[in-house]
Amino acid sequence: MEYVVSILKKFPLTVFALVILTMPFWFPWIGGYGGLATKIMIWALFALGFDILLGFTGYLSFGHAIFFGVSAYATGLMFKHFSDEIIPAMIVAVIVGTLASVIIGYLTLKKSGIYFSILTLAFGEMLHSSALSTFGGFTGGENGLTLPDMIPSMLGIEMRGEVMFYMTAAVLILGYYIARRISDSPFGLILKAIKSNQERLEYTGIDVQKYKLGAFVISAIYASVAGSLMVVYEPYVGTEYLRWSTSGNLVLMSVMGGVGTLIGPIIGAAFMLYFENVLSVPLGEEWLLVLGLIFMAIVIFLPGGFTDGFKLIYKKLIGKKPDGEEK
Amino acid sequence: MNYLFLQVLTGLQISALYMLIALGLTLIFGTLGVVNFAHGALFMLGAYFAVVISDAFGFSVALVSVPILLFIVGIILERGLIRFFYERSHTDQILVTFGLAIVIGEVLKTIYGANNLPFAKPSWGSGIVKLHEYLPFLEGFVAYPKWRLILVVVSFSTVAALFLLLQFTRFGLIVRAGMRDSQMLAFLGVNITRRFTIVFGIGAVIAAIAGLFGGPITQVEPELGMKLLIPSFLVVVVGGMGSLPGAVLASLLFGMALSFTAKYAEIQQIIIYLLAVVILLVRPRGLMGKKGLME
Repeated sequence: MEYVVSILKKFPLTVFALVILTMPFWFPWIGGYGGLATKIMIWALFALGFDILLGFTGYLSFGHAIFFGVSAYATGLMFKHFSDEIIPAMIVAVIVGTLASVIIGYLTLKKSGIYFSILTLAFGEMLHSSALSTFGGFTGGENGLTLPDMIPSMLGIEMRGEVMFYMTAAVLILGYYIARRISDSPFGLILKAIKSNQERLEYTGIDVQKYKLGAFVISAIYASVAGSLMVVYEPYVGTEYLRWSTSGNLVLMSVMGGVGTLIGPIIGAAFMLYFENVLSVPLGEEWLLVLGLIFMAIVIFLPGGFTDGFKLIYKKLIGKKPDGEEK
Repeated sequence: MNYLFLQVLTGLQISALYMLIALGLTLIFGTLGVVNFAHGALFMLGAYFAVVISDAFGFSVALVSVPILLFIVGIILERGLIRFFYERSHTDQILVTFGLAIVIGEVLKTIYGANNLPFAKPSWGSGIVKLHEYLPFLEGFVAYPKWRLILVVVSFSTVAALFLLLQFTRFGLIVRAGMRDSQMLAFLGVNITRRFTIVFGIGAVIAAIAGLFGGPITQVEPELGMKLLIPSFLVVVVGGMGSLPGAVLASLLFGMALSFTAKYAEIQQIIIYLLAVVILLVRPRGLMGKKGLME
């Protein structure tokens, strides 16, 4: 047991990559299927980026559906009007998502965290309702943006099935590597300092606003890549991509997995999609109720989420005190 | 003249519902310091109770019992859940109340299904009022749905009652003092915890009133809570968090804006968000927010 954990600690990225890349082999054993694995990769990427904002700075955004949705629409429109090649579509989508995040981040990251949560929620609903009506001509309105008979491809290779899975998995592994580098960098340290004591950080002469915006934009770039990949995976843009429920699901999975750990939100994303698609069969219509109760229990009793739970269990197993040494 | 009058009336009617929900939100934030994402769900619970009870026993029974029921629900929630979150971060408060909102919505969905429940107005509240018979300055025939007028009257009466309660009673005095400095008040030997529990209950009662009178004009379905929570939160932020007059002012502003842009659906869909962004950019603390709070 301790040996396993020591390997995990020494080669986190290698272990992570191995687990992800072998997913097509072990995932069907527990009731999963290929398409779900790809979807998990996409949501994991979304949640991973979100952790750089929520986990590091402590700013709870209820509007990350904006970047996911806006970039999904941008990708869809590129496919529709330009070509089925994914590289230009994804580049445009990420640029659009990034620009949106700079503007919205500038407007919402004023001072208080509550202010931020409510305003991001409001911005999300504004874009959602404008996609439904105001810009209905571009977005397909209530029906979403349909792309009939579209098979996106990269340099002529069709993006479906296994190819799509490995492409998404590669993006996720790269994303995880970058996030870890950010976490260990001076920039990451300042973000974590914002969470613990923003006021004190300001007194040291650091322009906190700039760092918060930086974290916000980075998390939005992750969200944009995820949103764009979603349309590559499934060439259709649903109106719910922009809806508050998408942001809400993101918050649910991040918190359940454990914020601030990078791996936690990935576990949370996998858990939630697995729950929604596999465990919902025995649970029936009430699966979201069960999920809501699990979420509340975690917020109340285990604010560190699953990752904290694993740590506690591990320490129980090897007989250390829960607050024992760890690194 | 007629046109203008009707637009203003419609604006009042739209703002009436926002006002009721925002009032509870801002009251709870101002006193307990809790950002309650489950407030929309409380309103929805009020609407569902109102439908079920008035179908079974008539609206007058619902009128009495729903506020009492919601008061009890409010007390149970505050004692059983919310009070453990006073010492935790705002983020945790938002998270736990968000989870609560999902759970309440899903429970209602499991029991009553995802579809809209029809809410029959009581006979004394249906039909129209011929306004030109009462208001001589209106020309020709001007009629307005009676229930919507009742909603406006109820809403403003609730605001007035809450204002009187906070401004002119001993209970109100203690609560207002508690909003300033609850620790000091506790040192003086006042049982502030019990008052705060009651304040949460009052917030739930206002949500119940909103559900009783707002239910018939909105749809009673499990998404209702979140649908109204978002604009109501904007009302609270634009008015200034924790400020009751601010919530009233901001809801009037939003109601009028929605009413006067009704002809242009593209603008109406986003007008309150645009207003909120502009106001908060110019004045981050909101229209009547206290200095230093939320700036």
